[in-house]
Amino acid sequence: MKNMTAFISAMCVAMSPLAAVAADMEKTLDVAFVTYPTGYDPAKVSDAYSIAINSNIFDPMVTYDYLARPATLIPNTIEAMPTITNDGKTYTIKIRPGIYFSADPIFGGTPRELTAADYIYSIKRHLDPTINSPWSYLVDGKFVGAEEMVAAANGGALDYDAEIEGLRALDTYTLEINLTATNYNFMYVLATDAFGAVAREVIEGYVDNTNAHPVGTGPYILKEGETSSVIELVANPDYREMTFDFAADPANPISVQAAADMAGKQLPVIGNVRVHVIEEEQPVWLSFLNGELDYTGIPQPALREALVINPDDPLDVRLADEFVAQGMTLQRQKALEVTYTYFNMNDPVVGGYEPQQIALRRAIALAWPINETIARIRRGQAVPVQYVVPEGVAGHNPNFVGQTGYDPAKANALLDAAGYAIGADGFRTQPDGSPLSIEFATGTSAIDREWNEFYQQAFDSIKVKLTFKEGQWSELAKESMEGTLQMWGLAWGADYPDGDNFMQLLYGPNTGDANAAGFDQPDYNRMYEESILLPNGPERQALYDQMNEIVVGYQPWIFGDVRVGSTISHPNVKGLVVHPILNSAWRYVDLVE
Amino acid sequence: MWSYVIRRVLQMIPTLFGVMLLLFILFNWVGGDPSYILAGKSLSDETLASIRAQLGLDQSLPAQFLIFVKQVLTLDFGTSWVTQQPVSETIASRIVPSLTLMTAWLVTSTVLAISIAGLVAYFRASLLDRTVTMISTVAMSVSVLVYIILGQYFLAYRLQLFPVLGWSDNLWTNLTTYVPLPLILGLAVSLAPDVRFYRSCFLEEMNHDYVRTARAKGLSERSVMVRHVMRNAMIPIVTQLMMYLPFMIVGALLLERFFGIPGMGREVLLSVERSDFPMIKAITIYIVMAIMVFNLLADLVYHWLDPRVQLK
Repeated sequence: MKNMTAFISAMCVAMSPLAAVAADMEKTLDVAFVTYPTGYDPAKVSDAYSIAINSNIFDPMVTYDYLARPATLIPNTIEAMPTITNDGKTYTIKIRPGIYFSADPIFGGTPRELTAADYIYSIKRHLDPTINSPWSYLVDGKFVGAEEMVAAANGGALDYDAEIEGLRALDTYTLEINLTATNYNFMYVLATDAFGAVAREVIEGYVDNTNAHPVGTGPYILKEGETSSVIELVANPDYREMTFDFAADPANPISVQAAADMAGKQLPVIGNVRVHVIEEEQPVWLSFLNGELDYTGIPQPALREALVINPDDPLDVRLADEFVAQGMTLQRQKALEVTYTYFNMNDPVVGGYEPQQIALRRAIALAWPINETIARIRRGQAVPVQYVVPEGVAGHNPNFVGQTGYDPAKANALLDAAGYAIGADGFRTQPDGSPLSIEFATGTSAIDREWNEFYQQAFDSIKVKLTFKEGQWSELAKESMEGTLQMWGLAWGADYPDGDNFMQLLYGPNTGDANAAGFDQPDYNRMYEESILLPNGPERQALYDQMNEIVVGYQPWIFGDVRVGSTISHPNVKGLVVHPILNSAWRYVDLVE
Repeated sequence: MWSYVIRRVLQMIPTLFGVMLLLFILFNWVGGDPSYILAGKSLSDETLASIRAQLGLDQSLPAQFLIFVKQVLTLDFGTSWVTQQPVSETIASRIVPSLTLMTAWLVTSTVLAISIAGLVAYFRASLLDRTVTMISTVAMSVSVLVYIILGQYFLAYRLQLFPVLGWSDNLWTNLTTYVPLPLILGLAVSLAPDVRFYRSCFLEEMNHDYVRTARAKGLSERSVMVRHVMRNAMIPIVTQLMMYLPFMIVGALLLERFFGIPGMGREVLLSVERSDFPMIKAITIYIVMAIMVFNLLADLVYHWLDPRVQLK
């Protein structure tokens, strides 16, 4: 693969018909990943590292304003945001002419322009049963005629030439999307990097190994792939003209500085990006301190060295004087995620919707020392989840308090009142007198064991017998989907910053899929179905609030925490503003000595 | 000798078959279902069933085992379930860095350990012997992680004697720039137990009657040590070396992880984490083959070192 990629890179430069690269090829940005990407076919990969690379190679139709907060969609390869008609079911989108794929031998030396048909092909690939796209859940059943098209494939490859009403090219540059149901937020789905445009002839030309041949219209091309410990990207010489013209977020001095530093610069500025794969935290940190990396997330073991943390409020942090003196910059970012521990609502012991069953779940939630786990395991760098939709995602309500609070005495009183009496062995029994024992699913790593100590402490405090079911993630996921686990801790990261991506986690029909708890409450389901017909606004927010009240009332989850990341950069790095969604915005960064 | 070699090679077939069967049973028992990893968030029944069909997991277990047998016979393990890259290509790219580091490590470690062990055995009970023994005991009680973390921090970061980590496509650059620090730390870990073991091998031989006889005949000490003692002491040393050699394939996991060496150790760990059975199968089979070949080689070397050892 190494030789092939080198050959392709050379061919790209030699055959480039539009070679007008603005990037400074003398500049190299060095960053680190903790593991290898799995591949570079946007329809086949879903790990964060592959996505981070792909987002620099492929272009979705829309992207996010680099500096606007909360994250705001803007056109990327389209002329303007789409026209939405037919009660939110029809999207008409004009692709900007004059955008070209990076040169590849498969194009035979001819410039290959991006068209509406490329996006139709790229979206259809996620529905192709032979590809098994990990992103198919975002588009399954969404397009008029798509289900029939998939059924006709009968488990084989799609007939990509067959036109469906849901995805039509009205002309070379005009794309019409017809959805099966009202959805005003569908562009969030299409902003996902997985929906970046690929060229059909490239996919078909390298059909045996599409993961190793990424060819897109983005700012960078892959120079060196997975066979080395360094993944190298070089600026795409055919990249369209694009200048940095984002308005700063006035509340954020780093954003203001970035806008001032980068205004008017043609993108990408840096000619080369080297991604070093470094699995351990110490070498990442030492490499950064040695100047071998330009910026990095601060690993947990280095937090005390790098940050001055207010002991009374661990989220009140500043960069240590030693690093300030060197001109380094600290940026903090809450992840767009929720972590939670779910109860299997179909389990006869921890599930159910009766008051006694709710009392057991509430008591366990009351015994959960969330502040202690944040202090000890997260080292203070997290905040409790209070709402199903996290901060920074459209539909979040910052005034809602979803945590039960830590109160073991109240938990015990609740269990006493609900009839969970303490038996002769010192553990509680079920209300009918049968033994009460709860099994918690867990991984086998050191951090899992650390978490388990807190679970044990919580269950001991309410005298409920706890056992652990250890297993690999894939095995536990299988059992979770089959509904055979009682409790398990999970996290959900935003695929896109809209509340729907989170509220669907407790929608009844999603049981056995995203709804791991199997929560199936009619009022919640009805309100969710109403909410997806609405754009973000007061009406939808009111529904979300009521749905969160239901979640707090029935307690299918113990709300966990949202992690707060810290990124540190050297003074020569300009334009770097940590974005909640764009996790490898290398095109917007410059290096200035 | 050739009949012995042929007989041993034939004996490898049932051994390999047994390993394949054990590996297959273990993977299907505790290996995890990779379809849940590959499906990402698309955990619908249809997607999972389709992934299993593509991976061949929907076939009966005997049919899956037959495919495995065919893969071993052709040494073509197909493509990785996770990256979809050919397994042979991935292994070929990973094995070179591992062999670069491990060969340098094994050669240096063996030469140094035998030299030091021979020296302290010759000066047994002297201050030198006691000092080396004490240092070895202390060195053996320190965890490998401590060597790596402290070595990287002080030698690379504080003293700037080496790069913190890195690897290049150039063998010379790797040997002169990126290998020395992991090599030094690897030696710190391996030298002490090897010196102690080899010293005891030398001492055991030095106490035999034939050594006394050789000295009585008037042979020089150098001649006694090199021609007699070392030759006989080499049998347990060769045994240990032949045990090490097959595992050069899997590299040095911790050193590779901390020093950014894209070797087999990291690949093995990733494959297990991702339930990537084609990679696990290939690596395991190659290791088993290497063990069997090096065991045979060890027997032949014993015979060469000491003709009294019969190849039966």
